[in-house]
Amino acid sequence: MASGSATEITKTQSEGDFQAPQRHKKKLTKNTLRDWRFCAICLAYPVIQFVLVWSFVNIGGVLLAFKRYYAWGDWEWCGFFQFAKVIDDLLHSTVNQTGVSWLNSTRVELLNSFGYGFVTIFISLPLSLLFSYFLSKKMPLSNVFRVIFFLPNVIPIVALTLAFKLPFDSTYGYMYKVFTAFGLSGGIFESWPSSQIWIYIYCIWAGLGYYILLLSGAIGRIPKEIYESAEIDGAGYATEFIKITVPLVWPTIITLVVLGMTNVLTLYLQPYLMTNGEASTYTIAMSIFVSTSSYNPVQYCEAAAKGLLFTIVWAPIVMLVRNLMSRCFRDVDY
Amino acid sequence: MISIFTKKAGAGPQQDLSGKRKKRVQFSMYYVIKYIVFAIFVIYAVSLLMPFLWMLFNSVKPKGEFLSGNIFGLPSELTFGNYINILRYEIQGETVYEMFFTSVVLTLLGTFVNVFFSTITAYCVAKYKFPGRKIVMGVAIFTMIIPIVGTLPAQVQMMEMFNLSDSMIGVLFLYSGCFGFNFILMHSSFESISWSYAEAAQLDGANRAQILFRIMLPIAAGPIIAVAVLQAINVWNDYSTPFLFMPSQKTLAVGLQRLQNQLSGQGGDYPGIFAAVIVAVLPIFILYACFQKKIMENTVAGGLKG
Repeated sequence: MASGSATEITKTQSEGDFQAPQRHKKKLTKNTLRDWRFCAICLAYPVIQFVLVWSFVNIGGVLLAFKRYYAWGDWEWCGFFQFAKVIDDLLHSTVNQTGVSWLNSTRVELLNSFGYGFVTIFISLPLSLLFSYFLSKKMPLSNVFRVIFFLPNVIPIVALTLAFKLPFDSTYGYMYKVFTAFGLSGGIFESWPSSQIWIYIYCIWAGLGYYILLLSGAIGRIPKEIYESAEIDGAGYATEFIKITVPLVWPTIITLVVLGMTNVLTLYLQPYLMTNGEASTYTIAMSIFVSTSSYNPVQYCEAAAKGLLFTIVWAPIVMLVRNLMSRCFRDVDY
Repeated sequence: MISIFTKKAGAGPQQDLSGKRKKRVQFSMYYVIKYIVFAIFVIYAVSLLMPFLWMLFNSVKPKGEFLSGNIFGLPSELTFGNYINILRYEIQGETVYEMFFTSVVLTLLGTFVNVFFSTITAYCVAKYKFPGRKIVMGVAIFTMIIPIVGTLPAQVQMMEMFNLSDSMIGVLFLYSGCFGFNFILMHSSFESISWSYAEAAQLDGANRAQILFRIMLPIAAGPIIAVAVLQAINVWNDYSTPFLFMPSQKTLAVGLQRLQNQLSGQGGDYPGIFAAVIVAVLPIFILYACFQKKIMENTVAGGLKG
């Protein structure tokens, strides 16, 4: 009896055990199907939009680089013709408005573009790092400064470029008058390299706020105790900055260096709005933008080839720099 | 302990004095550096504000007064005539007022489509398990970190093929792409919201759509507003997309550039240009003043994630 009841109990238990997950599984499956249907409805448009835009634009962009367009409306595969044209322009073009003998229109584009990377990494970034460090040191009005410094990032770039260049206007600009009063040339955008240098200055002026904000965030996360113990050990500003701040915000610095390096291939609005391409201020991205805004398919192919070629060359360098920089300091959790 | 004691005892009053002097020098250096940096900060802050204040003062000055040489003084008489004139000014068949209206409409719709689809997608990915969920997440991160240059011509071709070029619908179609920073931000917001609210609503008979619209979206209202503010600023400020994809219906950002090209030069309507710049930045200043903390916080989050 005992054994029988025990068997019954075991059986019932095992049946119960068996049935319960089955019921549960059935319910789950039904629910799961409903969940999937709900997700499918919600995600239908975003996924279709993404597949259409992203795949069409990127695959289409690559294919376009291998095509040629004829004025009578025919498209033709042309292999590496467009790439060869870009390289040929770089090596042999005789168009030169810079007044420097070894430059031509494509070389100056490259030079200007790399200049943005250089300025961002070697001027804007160190300056922002210093500014952020001092902002974190109980500076009076530090929050007000942060808000003002970030202002250029929310203002339309057209308005910001106007705010920078109208004071240098030769007719009514106050900076023009200040410059000429000191015997300097007020026409800063008239010729290369002055035009390009002043666009770099604009980029530093307008871009510091964004870097300061990101670096301030990173510095703000460093525990105060580390600075306090460094102070007790007699560390000054310089030691604290070099031995504590820089290593601990290194991941953010890497991100900003990568951002600076991508500027080389992506920056075009600043020179476009500042000079409209005059005074040899073209960049790689700007020449692509201008070719596109001409709505002339003949120019699309060369623009696509130019973008692709420089991405293939530049992207591995960016990755390499990123990897090398990651090896400088070990990641520290704090 | 003994060695420290010995060291201290051996230091003597002379060394103690030099240590104090060293500390005092360090202390004064600290303040000198701090106030030099403070002065640099003030100069930089003034340089950022000065052009806008200059334009603001001159935009409310009679045009004749500015052109006659009073470019830096306060206005002798306050006038909003420059604003009225510039809003009526026509560029290629469109008044600046119409451009302002186009910008407002595009900003409202562009913000809505982007935030709506980003939020819905983020919600599904964060709260439901479905096949391809990880792919969607991966795609969102991939598109954020891989910049592809030279795709503009292909984009123009695509819009022409879909018959969406030169139309606001086309631009809205591009803005509705939702696998970006807004998606990532909303995804992390939804992940932090407990699912027990949804379970309670489910017990009360709510279906999935009701849970989303009546329970989850109100709970996530804070992050949604923050994302919407950033997106609104981005759309309002956007130059390239409207310039390329709706050239016959200009936004204020696009019109401002044309306006400057037309009105600058000898005897040009500079107070008018200044008024147009102020009109373009005023909505942004208001948004920035209201949501400055949220904007800066989200930029930090976006910047670091990117």
